[in-house]
Amino acid sequence: MGETINKILYAVNYVLARDIAGRTFHVLPDDIFLVSYPKSGNTWTRFLLGNLINPDEGITFANVERKVPDIYAKSRRALKELPRPRVIKSHECFDPRYRRVIYIVRDPRDVALSAYHYDRKGKNIPDGFPVETYVTTRFMKTDEYFGAWGEHAGSWLVNSKNVFQISRLKGEFLGTIGSWGENAMSWLGARGHDREFLLVRYEDLLEDTQREMTRVSEFLGLGASRERIARAIEVSTADSMRKLEDQQSNTWVTTRDSRKDIPFVRSATSGQWKEALPSASVLEIEAAWGPVMQLLGYPLSRELRSETLARNS
Amino acid sequence: MSNLKKRLAAYARVVTKRQPAARGLTVYPDDTFLVSFPRSGNTWTRFLVCNLMNPDDPVDFAQLESRIPEIYYVTDRNLRAFPRPRVIKSHECFDPRYKKIIYIVRDPRDVLISYYEFQLKRRVISEDCSLEEFLPRFMESEIEPDTGSWRDHVASWMATRGGHKNFLQLRYEEMLANTQKETTKIASFLGLDSNPERIARAVALSSADRMRKLEKEQSRQWKATQKTRQDKAFVRKAEAGGWKSNLPERCVAQIESAWGDVMRSVGYELELMNANGAVTR
Repeated sequence: MGETINKILYAVNYVLARDIAGRTFHVLPDDIFLVSYPKSGNTWTRFLLGNLINPDEGITFANVERKVPDIYAKSRRALKELPRPRVIKSHECFDPRYRRVIYIVRDPRDVALSAYHYDRKGKNIPDGFPVETYVTTRFMKTDEYFGAWGEHAGSWLVNSKNVFQISRLKGEFLGTIGSWGENAMSWLGARGHDREFLLVRYEDLLEDTQREMTRVSEFLGLGASRERIARAIEVSTADSMRKLEDQQSNTWVTTRDSRKDIPFVRSATSGQWKEALPSASVLEIEAAWGPVMQLLGYPLSRELRSETLARNS
Repeated sequence: MSNLKKRLAAYARVVTKRQPAARGLTVYPDDTFLVSFPRSGNTWTRFLVCNLMNPDDPVDFAQLESRIPEIYYVTDRNLRAFPRPRVIKSHECFDPRYKKIIYIVRDPRDVLISYYEFQLKRRVISEDCSLEEFLPRFMESEIEPDTGSWRDHVASWMATRGGHKNFLQLRYEEMLANTQKETTKIASFLGLDSNPERIARAVALSSADRMRKLEKEQSRQWKATQKTRQDKAFVRKAEAGGWKSNLPERCVAQIESAWGDVMRSVGYELELMNANGAVTR
């Protein structure tokens, strides 16, 4: 009985294009994609870019899904109804249909910590869950079985309180996101030198937001003035995002069903791993993705150590 | 009207979950994938693998989809019913869920010619579209946008999986030049018996001549050729380097200037460009 109802709901939702966009929506040639591995500064970039493009109506957690929608949260129909050019958030590995891509990358050692707290917030792991175990069994593990979009579509629609969470039940977003290294390398390999591809490092964005947003503005041909960029940055600071989160976390699809005692906007810093990530986890990450990290300018811990030694001698 | 009918039919397929699996495929950890950009020797490799696995019951076009199914023809539901471990054919760009992969790469200058001929066969283009006119459409992956360009395809796989133990990279040209040796690689990768006679038998059963003969008899029974022009062959010359005599220099230059770095990284020498990317003639 429940099965039949699910099937009917699935069919009705599909015909009405109310199913989750995911990989199934129609990509347009002028779409702009904000792509990253999860927990790499994508939401901040959505705020920054949304506020830059449309300074009159500030981005909040209540309207971000309408302004810069997430393909895992919105329906095909919702995306279809957006004014063009659309700015769309995605965590997919390389997708050849995406033509204009801003790829945000972050040091995987910080991503691991951020993902750990995010999974606590999402009640996927309990408090006190060992970080080391988390890194080994969840963050690094990519060889488990993932179902297809279609297999889950029915259940999402029925329980679609939070697709973000449901899709993470199997550890990752249905496996189409890959690991940190796969995600980064698939994009860099296929589009690294393309003029419609812009690589932004989260750490650079933190260090000099004005400079990086100027790159983004030029990449998109927005022709935004210095002041306009500065204004967008000012209304997208971690502090103002924290204030908005306090008021709106029950409205936003990503945080609605999660623990409210752990914030979504955390420290918004880089290099926390040096203190907070167990050295075994650091080594595990570096052993798996060392060459990719070096390519992206994230020095490995042994390089950092020899640098410190050289400075001290 | 026929457009509306097509759309309704597409709706009905999705709603009843009868659309081909494609990217919506359910992947199992013991799956092996035969992956390539289109027109790069994938069908030949499917024959080789089938005939390695099952030498006493040689494969033909009528059975091919039930032995090594292609994700664009079969529904996910039917694919889930296949005996495991499955061997599956795919043209997808990098998909992180694929864990064990035989990846075939072919010189894009030859791929272009073969791809062009195949689109003629499929009636996607007509004879009045010249190869030169077709080139930009090929490079922009206009016909199959979900597949990406040759560059997208090769670079996305090589950057993520190149050199991994579960990724066997083959070059079509080497397979042609030394079929026995390359087929032995396939057999060992799949953990199959690689004694030379068995390999030789699989190679003989998968020869271009035999495939041509089977195509003549069965082209109406195989999904890929069923509704296509029967005056043009699916199994064409099965050779390498045809571009040298058939591809206008301007086309060669365009391909090499856009994809030269990736071509060189998989072992294809450029004819018109030097290492700095400058045209030499």
